[in-house]
Amino acid sequence: MDRMDDKLDALWSDYREACPDPEPGPDFMPKLWQRIEAQRAATTSVFRRLTAVCVAATAMLTLLMAMVLIPLVQRLPVYSASYVDELTAQHPNTYVDILNGDIR
Amino acid sequence: MLVDFELLGRARSGDDGAFNQVVQAYRKRILGTIARLIGKPEDVEDVGQEVFLRLYYSLDQLRTPEVFEPWLYRLTVNAAYDYLRRQRRRQESRMSDLSEQQVMLADAAAGGKRRDEEQRKTKVREFVQSLLGKVSEEDRILLTLKEVEGLSLKELEKVYRVNENALKVRLFRARQRVLKAYEAETNKAGAAIADKSGREV
Repeated sequence: MDRMDDKLDALWSDYREACPDPEPGPDFMPKLWQRIEAQRAATTSVFRRLTAVCVAATAMLTLLMAMVLIPLVQRLPVYSASYVDELTAQHPNTYVDILNGDIR
Repeated sequence: MLVDFELLGRARSGDDGAFNQVVQAYRKRILGTIARLIGKPEDVEDVGQEVFLRLYYSLDQLRTPEVFEPWLYRLTVNAAYDYLRRQRRRQESRMSDLSEQQVMLADAAAGGKRRDEEQRKTKVREFVQSLLGKVSEEDRILLTLKEVEGLSLKELEKVYRVNENALKVRLFRARQRVLKAYEAETNKAGAAIADKSGREV
């Protein structure tokens, strides 16, 4: 087994020698920048699409809420009378007398 | 370190010129490592670009410039691992052609020493690649980094982010598996030589 170990070590060393660092091709850098730009464009496009989707969803939701809530609000009774008017309406005699200074 | 911290700092802050310089400083070394890890010269530049692409988009996550090299090795290992995983099927079919490689090896042994050094190197490359193809991608990458790239245990610890003892165990097991494959290959090659000699007699 030790012999095999030594042979394997020698093989690694031969392999290292047989595989020198390759010289990068002339278009290595241009291609790398192309890929960087492509990824950047893809990321930007995803964000842009996401933004468009969010804006559209918000607009739809606003419209939907307007369609549902506006008729509801319109159906509610409108209170235009003041607090004093309401009291007068509920206790007509007493309050009219008090206001007239005709206290018994 | 092939670049200074100041240049790395500028690259981290988004200076494309500085990033270009970092790539130019490391590309040859990284391409060499990738070539020995994946064993496919035609795909080395593609994987190399993938490494630097990942570097570009993750450079701002680098905590300190001191850990840049192990970190770059880590990106290299991950890209090589992804490539090998993608190529697993194709590689398996390549491994099925091993008998042809063994015969070639036997031919080489029977025919004596090759005069052409380049042919010998090609044979060594093919043989080691076939051997590494018989173990897992993890074993293949770990052994190549340790035995071929010559990374120390300390450096491997930083690349793999595991402690030395765990690394030693993984290395020992990986080496045992390659040794077993090597022994099997040697026996087969020996048998092929004997078979060839027998037929010639």
